[in-house]
Amino acid sequence: MAINESAPLPAASEDWHRLSFTGSGKEYFGIWIVNILLTIITVGIYSAWAKVRRNRYFYGNTVLLGRGFEYHAKGMQILIGRIIVFGYLIIYNVLLTIVPLVGIALAALILVLLPWLVMRGLRFSARVTSYRNVRFNFVGGVGGAFLAFLVGPVLAVLTLGILTPLASRWTYRYIGNNMRYGTKAFTTDPGLGAIYKTWFLSALIILLGLLIIGFVVFINMSIVFAVIDNPQGIPPELQVPMIVMGVIGYLVVLLSFGIAALVYHAGLRNVAWSSTVFDGKHSLKSDLSRFGYVWVTLTNVLVTLLTLGLMRPWAAVRMARYVNTHTAVRFSGDVGEVFAIVQKDGSAVGAEFMDFEGFDFGF
Amino acid sequence: MASDGQIVASGEWHPANSSLSVVARLTETSTGLAVERVPSGEILASGGLAGVQISPRVGSIPRRIDFADGSLFETTDNDAIDRLLARSGRRATGLVHKLERFHPRLIVLVVATFLMAGLVYRYALPVLVEVAVAVTPPVVPKIMSVSTLETMDRTMLSPSRLDAGKQREISAGFAKIAALSTRGAAGYSLNFRAGGAIGPNAFALPDGTLVLTDELVELADGDDEMIIGVLAHEIGHVELEHSLRQIYRAAGMAGLIMMIAGDVGSSVEDLLVQGGGLLALSYSRSAEEAADRHSVELMSKAGFDATAIARFFVLLENKLGDRSGTNMLSTHPGTPERRKAILDYESALRAKRQN
Repeated sequence: MAINESAPLPAASEDWHRLSFTGSGKEYFGIWIVNILLTIITVGIYSAWAKVRRNRYFYGNTVLLGRGFEYHAKGMQILIGRIIVFGYLIIYNVLLTIVPLVGIALAALILVLLPWLVMRGLRFSARVTSYRNVRFNFVGGVGGAFLAFLVGPVLAVLTLGILTPLASRWTYRYIGNNMRYGTKAFTTDPGLGAIYKTWFLSALIILLGLLIIGFVVFINMSIVFAVIDNPQGIPPELQVPMIVMGVIGYLVVLLSFGIAALVYHAGLRNVAWSSTVFDGKHSLKSDLSRFGYVWVTLTNVLVTLLTLGLMRPWAAVRMARYVNTHTAVRFSGDVGEVFAIVQKDGSAVGAEFMDFEGFDFGF
Repeated sequence: MASDGQIVASGEWHPANSSLSVVARLTETSTGLAVERVPSGEILASGGLAGVQISPRVGSIPRRIDFADGSLFETTDNDAIDRLLARSGRRATGLVHKLERFHPRLIVLVVATFLMAGLVYRYALPVLVEVAVAVTPPVVPKIMSVSTLETMDRTMLSPSRLDAGKQREISAGFAKIAALSTRGAAGYSLNFRAGGAIGPNAFALPDGTLVLTDELVELADGDDEMIIGVLAHEIGHVELEHSLRQIYRAAGMAGLIMMIAGDVGSSVEDLLVQGGGLLALSYSRSAEEAADRHSVELMSKAGFDATAIARFFVLLENKLGDRSGTNMLSTHPGTPERRKAILDYESALRAKRQN
């Protein structure tokens, strides 16, 4: 069968082809509210199918060169994964209250299993994603996951965040070098120096936040001394300034750490994606504006909260559009035909575990 | 060779496992469906309608039509595919997609969602909690209590320094009210400890183990009846199974929030978790009130002063200067309010008995 006359992927050109997002808040609103309503009515069971519809919508509207991505997981697969993870969490929590020692043993077991779960989770997520009829795949092993998801975070915490860039580099190398599209591979090697540059900005933001708190405490020294002198009871006339000071401190900590995390996340994504190459020659790029990303995130949260969640679909679509339009691919030479390798999706347990634990490495 | 079928939709066709595609159109023939190349009309794939898989519609993302040979036809013409399905007698669009379409009806769904969330919280969650409490074997609260007491003994509590006579006195009073409780005297054991960091306090573990600190006995300054009133309050917590309920309730809330976390996003999820925490505190306050009423009932049955526990609150107000009101961050209602509620409840009970 001759199908050579079609040119699905562009011939050599030095243009960057940006991703786009073709969904709309209006259209997603219906999907979203039905997802939540049916999830509540079915006491959570529908949430698995809700996830499938949500992901199909977002993947399907993520468009590169006129074609969308696709999400292939089935509701039943997700449900089984969720039940297993949820069951484990329940047993773990019950045992933790009743027989703390067994609970701690179960927590240790999860820690041992974590690299394997993460590896399987990434593999499942990759295998249920396709573009142009060809599925992605993830071929990373347990050792890499151990380094990237256990050793890395522990090192980062022990060094008060100073080694976070090293951990981030391990994570992106683990994901980026083990990702496959059909038979072809992605490779990446984000530079440590470049990650430290973006880390430095985040560290400055946190320092600034701490300085503000220090200043607020300094100009309110009288209150602080009063509390130190009389730790039992705070005089009533100082209770209000005390509460105001507490609230300001809380907000400043929340904002400075939040903004620092967002800036780091965006900067890291730029560095990691921009050093990723597909099939040895086609380059990827991410050029999020770090403060643009902070702005979109913070205003999204604010609008969502002010509308009791009702503007969440608009916010989610806005974020997807922002991130997609700052992601691009440049093809060097013809991509040619990519063949899929047929393999089983495997179980969704790892992916659901990552979901519950808040790992987020969407494609 | 070209099929003489009716054109359904145009799109792109991929051979099995290949990223290459050709411009093609889907046609409906007498035997089923076929994909033909545009413009030559060459048949690329075909199959009976039952043998192809058509993906359910989500928004306006492209529709997949998977043929048995592994090849794929993809089209953005969702409506044409819906009409094809309707003609062939299958349900045209899924019920879910129909609900999802942008339509004034969505307002009803929004209202229904808020309403259902309220109903689940108000009715379904308590039912689930009751079921969980009912199926929990008695050994669970037993183990829970033993390990909690062990932990507390190791960290905060130390052996009581009260003299044996005083302990006997209080134990005798306690035995009177315990005998009148639903679980009976055998259902409870009273333990004396020096409170250390927890100060003047009494608490109950779910298996009926009660702990009374020396500091509380000192604070009572000889008023044994008041101590018995406080212990009757603790018996109330055990009889009403408050601690198990609180655990299950918190777990149920966490579970429900987790289920919709993917849809509401992490910021709203955090807010819901915080809100759930506040609701748990309100639940804790109403549990305290229920235990207070239990104390009044039990004390009056045993022939003690039914409002003895109110004297404890007077003490708290005077000696410890606790005049705090209730706010949404407290686990217990404000002390003056509690004292008043107890006195009111007692007089209401007395009025009822006289009628």
